[in-house]
Amino acid sequence: MSNNVLVELSDALADAAEKAGNATVLVNARRRMPASGIVYASDLILTADHIIEREDGIKVILGDGAEVSARIAGRDAGSDLAVLKLERSTGTVAEATKSPARLGQLALVLGRPSPNGIEASLGTVSAIGGPIRTGRGGMLEKYIRTDSISYPGFSGGPLVAADGTVLGVNTSGLANGAAVTIPADIAWRIADTLVKHGRIQHGYLGIRSQTVEIPAASQKALKHEQATGLLIVGVENDSPASKGGLIVGDILVAVAGVPVLHHDELFTRLDGDVVGKSMPIDVLRGGQPQTVNVVVGER
Amino acid sequence: MNFNGTFTQVIDELVQRVMPSLVIVRGHRYGAGAGIVWDANGLILTNNHVVGRRTPIVILQNDREYESRLIARDPDVDLALLSIEAADLTPLKPASVSPRVGEMVFAFGHPWGQRNTVTRGIVSALVSAQNRRGEILPVVRSDTPLAPGNSGGPLVNAKGEVVGINAMIIGGDQSVSIAASVAMDFVTKVLAKKKSEERTPVDVL
Repeated sequence: MSNNVLVELSDALADAAEKAGNATVLVNARRRMPASGIVYASDLILTADHIIEREDGIKVILGDGAEVSARIAGRDAGSDLAVLKLERSTGTVAEATKSPARLGQLALVLGRPSPNGIEASLGTVSAIGGPIRTGRGGMLEKYIRTDSISYPGFSGGPLVAADGTVLGVNTSGLANGAAVTIPADIAWRIADTLVKHGRIQHGYLGIRSQTVEIPAASQKALKHEQATGLLIVGVENDSPASKGGLIVGDILVAVAGVPVLHHDELFTRLDGDVVGKSMPIDVLRGGQPQTVNVVVGER
Repeated sequence: MNFNGTFTQVIDELVQRVMPSLVIVRGHRYGAGAGIVWDANGLILTNNHVVGRRTPIVILQNDREYESRLIARDPDVDLALLSIEAADLTPLKPASVSPRVGEMVFAFGHPWGQRNTVTRGIVSALVSAQNRRGEILPVVRSDTPLAPGNSGGPLVNAKGEVVGINAMIIGGDQSVSIAASVAMDFVTKVLAKKKSEERTPVDVL
Protein backbone atom coordinates (compact mmCIF):
# COMPACT_ATOMS: atom_id res chain seq x y z
CA MET A 1 0.00 0.00 0.00
CA SER A 2 1.41 3.34 -0.96
CA ASN A 3 1.73 6.10 1.56
CA ASN A 4 -1.46 7.96 2.35
CA VAL A 5 -2.57 10.46 5.00
CA LEU A 6 -3.05 7.68 7.54
CA VAL A 7 0.48 6.32 7.04
CA GLU A 8 1.86 9.86 7.12
CA LEU A 9 0.07 10.65 10.38
CA SER A 10 1.23 7.36 11.88
CA ASP A 11 4.85 8.09 10.87
CA ALA A 12 4.59 11.65 12.22
CA LEU A 13 3.35 10.36 15.59
CA ALA A 14 6.19 7.84 15.80
CA ASP A 15 8.65 10.61 14.84
CA ALA A 16 7.19 12.87 17.55
CA ALA A 17 7.46 10.06 20.13
CA GLU A 18 11.06 9.46 19.12
CA LYS A 19 12.06 13.14 19.15
CA ALA A 20 10.47 13.97 22.50
CA GLY A 21 11.28 10.48 23.82
CA ASN A 22 15.01 11.15 23.48
CA ALA A 23 14.55 14.05 25.91
CA THR A 24 12.34 12.04 28.29
CA VAL A 25 14.21 10.39 31.13
CA LEU A 26 13.62 7.94 33.95
CA VAL A 27 13.81 9.51 37.42
CA ASN A 28 14.43 7.11 40.28
CA ALA A 29 13.97 9.00 43.53
CA ARG A 30 11.51 6.82 45.44
CA ARG A 31 11.24 3.29 46.71
CA ARG A 32 8.43 2.10 44.47
CA MET A 33 8.50 2.25 40.68
CA PRO A 34 10.46 5.10 39.07
CA ALA A 35 8.76 7.98 37.27
CA SER A 36 9.69 10.26 34.38
CA GLY A 37 11.35 13.60 33.72
CA ILE A 38 12.09 16.02 30.89
CA VAL A 39 15.55 17.25 29.83
CA TYR A 40 15.00 20.96 30.37
CA ALA A 41 18.58 22.10 29.82
CA SER A 42 21.70 20.09 29.02
CA ASP A 43 22.32 19.31 32.70
CA LEU A 44 18.86 19.96 34.19
CA ILE A 45 15.81 17.69 34.47
CA LEU A 46 12.31 19.04 35.00
CA THR A 47 10.08 16.57 36.83
CA ALA A 48 7.18 16.27 39.27
CA ASP A 49 7.90 17.16 42.89
CA HIS A 50 5.81 14.37 44.40
CA ILE A 51 7.87 11.59 42.82
CA ILE A 52 10.96 12.73 44.74
CA GLU A 53 10.88 10.95 48.07
CA ARG A 54 14.57 11.15 48.92
CA GLU A 55 17.30 13.73 48.53
CA ASP A 56 20.28 11.41 48.18
CA GLY A 57 20.96 8.71 45.65
CA ILE A 58 18.72 10.13 42.92
CA LYS A 59 19.37 8.33 39.63
CA VAL A 60 18.36 9.46 36.16
CA ILE A 61 18.40 7.19 33.10
CA LEU A 62 18.76 9.20 29.90
CA GLY A 63 17.25 8.50 26.50
CA ASP A 64 20.43 6.73 25.40
CA GLY A 65 20.27 4.38 28.41
CA ALA A 66 23.10 6.02 30.36
CA GLU A 67 22.58 6.28 34.12
CA VAL A 68 23.56 9.60 35.72
CA SER A 69 23.41 10.73 39.35
CA ALA A 70 21.44 13.86 40.13
CA ARG A 71 20.70 16.19 43.03
CA ILE A 72 17.77 18.49 43.69
CA ALA A 73 18.35 21.99 42.28
CA GLY A 74 14.96 23.29 43.35
CA ARG A 75 11.48 22.07 44.16
CA ASP A 76 8.02 23.47 44.78
CA ALA A 77 5.30 21.36 46.34
CA GLY A 78 2.57 23.88 45.45
CA SER A 79 3.02 23.48 41.71
CA ASP A 80 4.34 19.88 42.02
CA LEU A 81 7.44 20.73 40.01
CA ALA A 82 11.09 20.08 40.71
CA VAL A 83 14.37 20.58 38.88
CA LEU A 84 17.24 18.11 39.20
CA LYS A 85 20.86 18.86 38.36
CA LEU A 86 22.71 16.10 36.55
CA GLU A 87 26.30 15.21 37.39
CA ARG A 88 27.14 15.52 33.72
CA SER A 89 25.54 17.06 30.65
CA THR A 90 23.38 15.25 28.12
CA GLY A 91 22.87 16.04 24.46
CA THR A 92 19.16 16.04 23.82
CA VAL A 93 17.15 18.92 25.28
CA ALA A 94 13.34 19.00 25.03
CA GLU A 95 11.76 21.71 22.92
CA ALA A 96 8.87 23.53 24.55
CA THR A 97 5.98 24.37 22.24
CA LYS A 98 5.60 27.88 20.88
CA SER A 99 1.87 27.42 20.27
CA PRO A 100 -0.13 26.57 23.40
CA ALA A 101 -2.35 23.48 23.54
CA ARG A 102 -5.71 23.71 21.77
CA LEU A 103 -8.90 21.84 22.55
CA GLY A 104 -9.18 18.76 20.35
CA GLN A 105 -5.50 18.70 19.44
CA LEU A 106 -3.79 15.30 19.22
CA ALA A 107 -1.35 14.79 22.05
CA LEU A 108 0.99 12.00 23.12
CA VAL A 109 1.62 11.20 26.77
CA LEU A 110 5.22 10.01 27.08
CA GLY A 111 7.00 8.38 29.98
CA ARG A 112 10.07 6.35 30.75
CA PRO A 113 9.22 4.47 33.94
CA SER A 114 11.32 1.46 32.94
CA PRO A 115 14.86 1.27 31.57
CA ASN A 116 13.55 -0.77 28.63
CA GLY A 117 12.44 2.22 26.60
CA ILE A 118 9.95 4.97 26.06
CA GLU A 119 6.21 4.46 26.65
CA ALA A 120 3.46 6.39 24.92
CA SER A 121 -0.29 6.74 24.67
CA LEU A 122 -2.35 8.93 22.40
CA GLY A 123 -5.30 11.14 23.13
CA THR A 124 -6.71 14.56 22.49
CA VAL A 125 -6.60 17.69 24.58
CA SER A 126 -10.03 17.44 26.20
CA ALA A 127 -10.06 20.44 28.54
CA ILE A 128 -8.07 23.57 29.27
CA GLY A 129 -8.95 25.23 32.56
CA GLY A 130 -7.74 27.24 35.51
CA PRO A 131 -6.87 28.91 37.69
CA ILE A 132 -7.36 26.22 40.32
CA ARG A 133 -6.05 25.69 43.80
CA THR A 134 -3.93 22.57 43.75
CA GLY A 135 -4.29 19.86 46.33
CA ARG A 136 -0.82 20.87 47.53
CA GLY A 137 -1.48 24.43 48.63
CA GLY A 138 -0.52 26.12 45.39
CA MET A 139 -2.32 27.87 42.62
CA LEU A 140 -2.19 26.65 39.05
CA GLU A 141 -2.93 29.42 36.59
CA LYS A 142 -3.85 27.05 33.77
CA TYR A 143 -4.04 23.28 33.29
CA ILE A 144 -4.60 20.83 30.46
CA ARG A 145 -6.52 17.56 30.58
CA THR A 146 -6.40 14.82 27.97
CA ASP A 147 -8.36 11.64 27.33
CA SER A 148 -5.25 9.48 26.96
CA ILE A 149 -4.24 6.61 29.20
CA SER A 150 -1.70 7.55 31.86
CA TYR A 151 0.49 4.54 32.56
CA PRO A 152 2.01 4.13 36.03
CA GLY A 153 5.19 6.18 36.35
CA PHE A 154 4.24 8.75 33.71
CA SER A 155 4.38 11.66 36.23
CA GLY A 156 7.07 14.19 35.33
CA GLY A 157 6.99 13.20 31.66
CA PRO A 158 5.88 15.39 28.78
CA LEU A 159 2.62 15.89 26.92
CA VAL A 160 3.80 16.06 23.32
CA ALA A 161 2.27 17.67 20.23
CA ALA A 162 2.33 15.91 16.86
CA ASP A 163 5.43 17.91 15.90
CA GLY A 164 7.38 16.55 18.87
CA THR A 165 7.35 19.75 20.91
CA VAL A 166 6.38 19.66 24.58
CA LEU A 167 2.91 20.98 25.46
CA GLY A 168 3.33 20.50 29.19
CA VAL A 169 4.39 18.37 32.14
CA ASN A 170 2.10 15.51 33.19
CA THR A 171 1.45 14.75 36.83
CA SER A 172 -0.93 12.78 38.98
CA GLY A 173 0.11 14.79 42.02
CA LEU A 174 -2.08 17.87 41.72
CA ALA A 175 -5.65 16.63 41.51
CA ASN A 176 -6.14 13.68 43.88
CA GLY A 177 -4.37 11.24 41.59
CA ALA A 178 -6.10 12.27 38.38
CA ALA A 179 -3.79 13.15 35.53
CA VAL A 180 -3.36 16.82 34.69
CA THR A 181 -0.80 18.61 32.58
CA ILE A 182 0.96 21.81 33.61
CA PRO A 183 1.26 23.90 30.41
CA ALA A 184 4.83 24.24 29.14
CA ASP A 185 5.04 28.05 29.42
CA ILE A 186 4.05 27.92 33.10
CA ALA A 187 6.24 24.89 33.86
CA TRP A 188 9.26 26.41 32.14
CA ARG A 189 8.75 29.72 33.97
CA ILE A 190 8.55 27.94 37.34
CA ALA A 191 11.61 25.87 36.42
CA ASP A 192 13.57 29.06 35.65
CA THR A 193 12.70 30.39 39.10
CA LEU A 194 13.58 27.06 40.74
CA VAL A 195 16.99 27.05 39.06
CA LYS A 196 17.61 30.65 40.19
CA HIS A 197 16.27 30.51 43.74
CA GLY A 198 15.84 26.82 44.56
CA ARG A 199 12.24 27.46 45.55
CA ILE A 200 9.19 29.48 44.57
CA GLN A 201 8.67 32.71 46.44
CA HIS A 202 5.04 33.56 47.06
CA GLY A 203 4.19 37.23 47.14
CA TYR A 204 2.55 38.92 50.14
CA LEU A 205 0.65 42.20 50.42
CA GLY A 206 -0.85 42.10 53.92
CA ILE A 207 -4.48 42.81 53.13
CA ARG A 208 -7.75 41.14 53.93
CA SER A 209 -10.38 41.53 51.29
CA GLN A 210 -13.70 40.33 50.00
CA THR A 211 -15.16 40.19 46.52
CA VAL A 212 -17.64 42.97 45.81
CA GLU A 213 -19.57 44.15 42.82
CA ILE A 214 -18.33 47.31 41.17
CA PRO A 215 -21.15 49.86 40.65
CA ALA A 216 -21.85 50.93 37.07
CA ALA A 217 -20.69 54.48 37.75
CA SER A 218 -17.32 53.25 39.03
CA GLN A 219 -16.96 50.94 36.06
CA LYS A 220 -17.40 54.00 33.88
CA ALA A 221 -14.64 55.73 35.82
CA LEU A 222 -12.42 52.66 35.28
CA LYS A 223 -12.99 53.03 31.56
CA HIS A 224 -13.48 49.26 31.16
CA GLU A 225 -16.10 46.73 32.16
CA GLN A 226 -15.23 44.82 35.27
CA ALA A 227 -18.01 43.20 37.29
CA THR A 228 -16.14 42.62 40.54
CA GLY A 229 -13.09 43.65 42.53
CA LEU A 230 -11.63 43.05 45.99
CA LEU A 231 -12.83 45.35 48.76
CA ILE A 232 -9.99 45.82 51.24
CA VAL A 233 -11.41 45.24 54.73
CA GLY A 234 -8.13 45.12 56.62
CA VAL A 235 -4.51 46.23 56.20
CA GLU A 236 -1.85 44.78 58.48
CA ASN A 237 0.55 47.11 60.25
CA ASP A 238 3.96 47.48 58.64
CA SER A 239 2.86 45.27 55.77
CA PRO A 240 3.84 45.95 52.14
CA ALA A 241 0.26 47.15 51.58
CA SER A 242 0.33 49.72 54.41
CA LYS A 243 3.79 50.96 53.35
CA GLY A 244 2.55 51.32 49.80
CA GLY A 245 -0.46 53.33 50.93
CA LEU A 246 -3.38 50.91 50.48
CA ILE A 247 -6.18 51.70 52.92
CA VAL A 248 -9.34 50.02 54.16
CA GLY A 249 -12.20 50.80 51.79
CA ASP A 250 -10.12 50.65 48.61
CA ILE A 251 -11.46 48.29 45.96
CA LEU A 252 -8.53 46.50 44.37
CA VAL A 253 -9.26 46.10 40.65
CA ALA A 254 -5.94 45.28 38.99
CA VAL A 255 -2.34 44.25 39.67
CA ALA A 256 0.33 45.28 37.20
CA GLY A 257 -2.38 46.22 34.74
CA VAL A 258 -4.08 42.78 34.85
CA PRO A 259 -7.68 42.92 36.12
CA VAL A 260 -8.34 41.08 39.39
CA LEU A 261 -11.94 39.94 39.80
CA HIS A 262 -11.54 37.26 42.47
CA HIS A 263 -9.13 36.15 45.18
CA ASP A 264 -7.78 33.33 43.01
CA GLU A 265 -6.62 35.85 40.45
CA LEU A 266 -4.82 37.86 43.12
CA PHE A 267 -3.05 34.66 44.25
CA THR A 268 -1.99 34.00 40.67
CA ARG A 269 -0.59 37.50 40.33
CA LEU A 270 1.41 37.10 43.53
CA ASP A 271 3.01 33.85 42.39
CA GLY A 272 6.10 33.90 40.28
CA ASP A 273 8.96 36.35 40.26
CA VAL A 274 7.35 39.31 42.05
CA VAL A 275 8.82 39.31 45.56
CA GLY A 276 10.82 42.47 46.25
CA LYS A 277 9.51 44.17 43.15
CA SER A 278 7.41 47.31 43.02
CA MET A 279 4.02 46.56 41.50
CA PRO A 280 1.41 49.08 40.41
CA ILE A 281 -1.92 48.23 42.03
CA ASP A 282 -5.07 49.82 40.66
CA VAL A 283 -7.78 50.61 43.18
CA LEU A 284 -11.07 52.46 43.30
CA ARG A 285 -10.93 55.00 46.11
CA GLY A 286 -14.10 56.96 46.67
CA GLY A 287 -15.32 55.71 43.31
CA GLN A 288 -12.31 57.11 41.50
CA PRO A 289 -9.47 55.05 39.98
CA GLN A 290 -6.06 55.48 41.52
CA THR A 291 -2.76 53.62 41.22
CA VAL A 292 -0.63 52.73 44.24
CA ASN A 293 2.84 51.21 44.03
CA VAL A 294 3.51 48.38 46.47
CA VAL A 295 6.82 46.58 46.98
CA VAL A 296 5.65 42.96 47.23
CA GLY A 297 6.83 41.09 50.32
CA GLU A 298 7.31 37.36 50.81
CA ARG A 299 4.73 35.11 52.42
CA MET B 1 -3.77 20.53 4.82
CA ASN B 2 -7.31 20.02 3.62
CA PHE B 3 -8.19 16.40 4.25
CA ASN B 4 -11.44 16.71 2.36
CA GLY B 5 -12.71 13.38 3.63
CA THR B 6 -9.61 11.50 2.50
CA PHE B 7 -8.71 10.58 6.06
CA THR B 8 -12.00 8.77 6.61
CA GLN B 9 -11.60 7.24 3.18
CA VAL B 10 -8.15 5.74 3.82
CA ILE B 11 -9.30 4.30 7.13
CA ASP B 12 -12.27 2.76 5.37
CA GLU B 13 -9.93 1.30 2.74
CA LEU B 14 -7.71 -0.13 5.46
CA VAL B 15 -10.69 -1.77 7.16
CA GLN B 16 -12.02 -3.14 3.86
CA ARG B 17 -8.64 -4.65 3.10
CA VAL B 18 -8.00 -6.27 6.48
CA MET B 19 -11.51 -7.45 7.32
CA PRO B 20 -11.67 -10.38 4.80
CA SER B 21 -8.73 -11.97 6.68
CA LEU B 22 -10.48 -11.87 10.05
CA VAL B 23 -12.23 -15.08 11.13
CA ILE B 24 -14.11 -16.35 14.15
CA VAL B 25 -12.57 -19.30 15.97
CA ARG B 26 -15.00 -21.23 18.14
CA GLY B 27 -13.00 -23.62 20.27
CA HIS B 28 -15.04 -23.70 23.45
CA ARG B 29 -18.68 -24.37 24.08
CA TYR B 30 -19.17 -20.73 25.07
CA GLY B 31 -17.53 -17.64 23.70
CA ALA B 32 -15.27 -17.35 20.72
CA GLY B 33 -12.03 -15.76 19.70
CA ALA B 34 -10.61 -14.34 16.53
CA GLY B 35 -8.18 -15.69 13.99
CA ILE B 36 -6.18 -14.53 10.99
CA VAL B 37 -6.14 -16.05 7.50
CA TRP B 38 -2.41 -16.73 7.19
CA ASP B 39 -2.34 -18.12 3.66
CA ALA B 40 -4.71 -18.45 0.73
CA ASN B 41 -5.06 -22.21 1.14
CA GLY B 42 -6.65 -22.33 4.55
CA LEU B 43 -3.99 -21.80 7.20
CA ILE B 44 -5.53 -19.94 10.16
CA LEU B 45 -3.43 -18.44 12.96
CA THR B 46 -4.98 -17.86 16.38
CA ASN B 47 -4.18 -17.92 20.09
CA ASN B 48 -3.60 -21.24 21.76
CA HIS B 49 -6.02 -20.29 24.54
CA VAL B 50 -8.79 -19.74 22.00
CA VAL B 51 -8.44 -23.35 20.78
CA GLY B 52 -10.18 -25.47 23.35
CA ARG B 53 -10.93 -28.80 21.76
CA ARG B 54 -9.07 -30.40 18.92
CA THR B 55 -11.43 -29.35 16.14
CA PRO B 56 -12.42 -25.72 16.56
CA ILE B 57 -14.97 -24.24 14.19
CA VAL B 58 -13.69 -21.48 11.93
CA ILE B 59 -16.21 -19.03 10.48
CA LEU B 60 -15.15 -16.87 7.54
CA GLN B 61 -16.48 -13.41 6.65
CA ASN B 62 -18.89 -15.03 4.14
CA ASP B 63 -20.45 -16.90 7.11
CA ARG B 64 -19.24 -20.28 5.89
CA GLU B 65 -18.34 -22.57 8.77
CA TYR B 66 -15.47 -25.04 8.63
CA GLU B 67 -14.39 -27.76 10.97
CA SER B 68 -10.70 -27.09 11.29
CA ARG B 69 -7.74 -29.37 11.81
CA LEU B 70 -5.27 -28.43 14.53
CA ILE B 71 -1.81 -28.46 12.98
CA ALA B 72 0.15 -27.22 15.97
CA ARG B 73 -0.21 -25.39 19.23
CA ASP B 74 2.28 -23.89 21.64
CA PRO B 75 1.10 -22.61 25.03
CA ASP B 76 4.47 -20.95 25.62
CA VAL B 77 3.90 -18.44 22.85
CA ASP B 78 0.08 -18.73 23.08
CA LEU B 79 -0.21 -19.48 19.37
CA ALA B 80 -1.98 -22.19 17.39
CA LEU B 81 -2.10 -22.99 13.70
CA LEU B 82 -5.30 -24.42 12.20
CA SER B 83 -6.11 -25.61 8.73
CA ILE B 84 -9.44 -25.53 6.91
CA GLU B 85 -10.43 -27.03 3.54
CA ALA B 86 -10.73 -23.77 1.63
CA ALA B 87 -8.93 -22.00 -1.17
CA ASP B 88 -8.53 -18.51 -2.59
CA LEU B 89 -8.67 -16.89 0.82
CA THR B 90 -7.25 -13.42 1.48
CA PRO B 91 -4.25 -13.63 3.80
CA LEU B 92 -2.67 -10.75 5.74
CA LYS B 93 0.95 -9.80 5.32
CA PRO B 94 3.13 -9.50 8.41
CA ALA B 95 5.09 -6.25 8.76
CA SER B 96 8.71 -6.75 7.76
CA VAL B 97 10.10 -4.41 10.41
CA SER B 98 9.20 -4.14 14.07
CA PRO B 99 6.79 -1.33 14.97
CA ARG B 100 7.81 2.04 16.41
CA VAL B 101 6.50 3.49 19.66
CA GLY B 102 3.87 6.07 18.74
CA GLU B 103 2.78 4.58 15.44
CA MET B 104 -0.92 3.98 14.85
CA VAL B 105 -2.35 0.50 15.17
CA PHE B 106 -5.77 -1.04 14.68
CA ALA B 107 -7.07 -4.16 16.41
CA PHE B 108 -9.57 -6.38 14.60
CA GLY B 109 -11.66 -8.90 16.47
CA HIS B 110 -14.93 -9.78 18.15
CA PRO B 111 -14.75 -8.25 21.67
CA TRP B 112 -17.52 -9.47 23.95
CA GLY B 113 -18.96 -11.29 20.94
CA GLN B 114 -19.48 -8.07 18.96
CA ARG B 115 -18.54 -9.27 15.52
CA ASN B 116 -15.98 -7.52 13.29
CA THR B 117 -14.96 -4.73 15.59
CA VAL B 118 -12.12 -2.30 14.90
CA THR B 119 -10.41 -0.38 17.73
CA ARG B 120 -7.65 2.18 17.32
CA GLY B 121 -4.56 3.02 19.34
CA ILE B 122 -0.86 3.58 19.12
CA VAL B 123 2.09 1.37 20.00
CA SER B 124 2.74 2.22 23.65
CA ALA B 125 5.85 0.21 24.34
CA LEU B 126 7.93 -2.61 22.95
CA VAL B 127 8.52 -4.95 25.85
CA SER B 128 9.62 -8.47 26.55
CA ALA B 129 7.74 -11.20 28.32
CA GLN B 130 9.37 -14.32 29.63
CA ASN B 131 7.59 -17.62 29.08
CA ARG B 132 7.78 -20.85 31.09
CA ARG B 133 10.65 -22.10 28.98
CA GLY B 134 12.60 -18.99 30.00
CA GLU B 135 12.50 -17.61 26.48
CA ILE B 136 12.19 -13.88 25.92
CA LEU B 137 9.15 -13.03 23.81
CA PRO B 138 8.87 -9.65 22.12
CA VAL B 139 5.48 -8.17 22.93
CA VAL B 140 3.75 -5.08 21.55
CA ARG B 141 1.90 -3.07 24.19
CA SER B 142 -0.65 -0.58 22.93
CA ASP B 143 -3.34 1.78 24.19
CA THR B 144 -5.85 0.07 21.90
CA PRO B 145 -8.92 -1.11 23.80
CA LEU B 146 -9.02 -4.94 23.76
CA ALA B 147 -11.51 -7.31 25.36
CA PRO B 148 -12.16 -11.05 25.42
CA GLY B 149 -12.99 -11.96 21.83
CA ASN B 150 -10.08 -9.92 20.48
CA SER B 151 -7.77 -12.83 21.29
CA GLY B 152 -6.18 -14.31 18.19
CA GLY B 153 -7.09 -11.34 16.00
CA PRO B 154 -4.62 -9.10 14.24
CA LEU B 155 -3.09 -5.82 15.36
CA VAL B 156 -2.23 -4.06 12.10
CA ASN B 157 -0.28 -0.89 11.30
CA ALA B 158 -1.46 2.01 9.11
CA LYS B 159 -0.47 -0.01 6.04
CA GLY B 160 -2.63 -2.97 7.06
CA GLU B 161 0.35 -5.20 7.88
CA VAL B 162 0.25 -7.46 10.94
CA VAL B 163 2.42 -6.15 13.78
CA GLY B 164 0.97 -8.40 16.47
CA ILE B 165 -1.47 -11.12 17.45
CA ASN B 166 -3.80 -9.77 20.12
CA ALA B 167 -3.55 -11.81 23.29
CA MET B 168 -4.85 -9.86 26.22
CA ILE B 169 -4.79 -12.95 28.41
CA ILE B 170 -1.06 -12.63 29.05
CA GLY B 171 -1.21 -8.95 29.90
CA GLY B 172 -3.86 -8.70 32.58
CA ASP B 173 -5.68 -5.40 32.09
CA GLN B 174 -3.20 -3.98 29.60
CA SER B 175 -3.52 -4.43 25.87
CA VAL B 176 -0.75 -6.70 24.68
CA SER B 177 -0.13 -8.43 21.40
CA ILE B 178 2.41 -11.09 20.54
CA ALA B 179 4.90 -9.56 18.12
CA ALA B 180 4.45 -10.58 14.48
CA SER B 181 8.03 -11.87 14.40
CA VAL B 182 7.10 -14.52 17.00
CA ALA B 183 4.13 -15.59 14.87
CA MET B 184 6.29 -15.83 11.76
CA ASP B 185 8.89 -17.97 13.59
CA PHE B 186 6.15 -20.21 14.95
CA VAL B 187 4.52 -20.77 11.55
CA THR B 188 7.85 -21.30 9.78
CA LYS B 189 8.94 -23.94 12.32
CA VAL B 190 5.59 -25.74 12.22
CA LEU B 191 5.52 -25.86 8.43
CA ALA B 192 9.14 -27.06 8.20
CA LYS B 193 8.40 -29.81 10.72
CA LYS B 194 5.22 -30.73 8.90
CA LYS B 195 7.05 -31.01 5.61
CA SER B 196 9.70 -33.29 7.03
CA GLU B 197 7.10 -35.51 8.64
CA GLU B 198 4.70 -35.66 5.75
CA ARG B 199 6.52 -38.69 4.36
CA THR B 200 5.70 -40.71 7.47
CA PRO B 201 2.08 -41.32 8.35
CA VAL B 202 2.36 -40.00 11.89
CA ASP B 203 -0.31 -37.87 13.34
CA VAL B 204 1.23 -34.47 13.98
CA LEU B 205 0.30 -32.49 17.00
